[in-house]
Amino acid sequence: MTDVAQFDRIIERYEKTEESLLAILQDFQREFHYVPEEGIRRLSEVMEVPESKIYAMGTFYKALSLTPRGRHTIKVCTGTACHLKGAPLILETLERELKVKRNGTTEDGEFTLECVNCVGACAMAPVTLVDEVYHGQTRASKVMDIVKKQVGS
Amino acid sequence: MEKVNVTIDGRTFEAVKDKCVLEVAHENGIYIPSLCYNSEVTSSGGSCRVCLVEAHQGGRMRLVTACNYPVRKGLEVKTDTPLVRRIRRGVLELLMARVPDSEVIREMAAAEGLTEVRFREDTGENERYKCIACALCTNVCAEVVGVYAISMINRGADKKPATPYLKPSDVCIGCGACAYACPTGAITLKEKDGVRRIWGKDFPMVRCSVCGTPYIPEAQVDWIVKRTGKDRSFFDKCPDHR
Ligand code: SF4
Ligand code: FES
Ligand code: FES
Repeated sequence: MTDVAQFDRIIERYEKTEESLLAILQDFQREFHYVPEEGIRRLSEVMEVPESKIYAMGTFYKALSLTPRGRHTIKVCTGTACHLKGAPLILETLERELKVKRNGTTEDGEFTLECVNCVGACAMAPVTLVDEVYHGQTRASKVMDIVKKQVGS
Repeated sequence: MEKVNVTIDGRTFEAVKDKCVLEVAHENGIYIPSLCYNSEVTSSGGSCRVCLVEAHQGGRMRLVTACNYPVRKGLEVKTDTPLVRRIRRGVLELLMARVPDSEVIREMAAAEGLTEVRFREDTGENERYKCIACALCTNVCAEVVGVYAISMINRGADKKPATPYLKPSDVCIGCGACAYACPTGAITLKEKDGVRRIWGKDFPMVRCSVCGTPYIPEAQVDWIVKRTGKDRSFFDKCPDHR
């Protein structure tokens, strides 16, 4: 990824102010499924904002990732309620079946597996999210079926 | 400059309005511990909390950080009450748990009669050893040096100063101001055979043409020349031999 045009296309849509930075980083995230290093460098050049500042933003916001992410994101809620209702087992199952560690991305770039702390749906615990779709009362034995059904593979 | 009267520990002083309590106290020989504040750096302070004092004003009392609390007319400050002592010990105990390697904090804590920590001490992984994440280094680099080579990355317990991607910085000039300002000595600056190493990058030093001492990184000279238009030959000699 060295072609700066792909970043410029996004940057051009915004005003040249520091307030635009976060929105641009979010657009990078949406477009590339992460915020590439070259993107941060280009953004720093065009906006004349120090690279260190933009990099810090990239590390601060949960919604931004500095490493490539999968096409699909699976979030296992490990908040208190979900933890008690069996989240650890769901997580282990996904780790085993997808051959990926928590907060990691599968080798084929298909899935990123994440833990989140309470998604505010404790009544449905344990909760698993596949690309922002909530699945309540998930069972470890069924979780792979849910994933497959939703992403259609 | 408007002057106001302010009382600290029962003594009344005349001070410039809006100057911070910490400076007024220090000017008058009253000790308040501090770590993250540097009077040369406007953006510093407010982070380590060891400078907490009682501020009495308009019949109300608040605990405030002396390093960024402005003196106003009628302000009364108490730096040595049982409450202040207790809170200060608490802050130091937490800092000590976080950075057990820091002698500065150990000494400060010992002065408050604190040698043991009730909390699990941090094992110092993640290179956090002595860093209390106060951001004085990044503030110095940005505000005083004007280079912005480092910033505070991550958040919560993982917050720390770093160069982008933890790689040797493209813009750092190796001036060492960050290491100099660090209150706990957490930033390593090494010098050997005319090369300075800081933030994982080597900086060849200019040697004084008289005494031969390597005294300033070449990159820093480049920076000053570019910024101020000063003549490069000015840096041939170290300050002692100019
Ligand atoms: S040594 Fe580098 S990081 Fe430290 S203050 Fe100087 S320019 Fe900034
Ligand atoms: S703990 Fe999982 S939704 Fe609240
Ligand atoms: S010196 Fe005041 S908060 Fe650190």
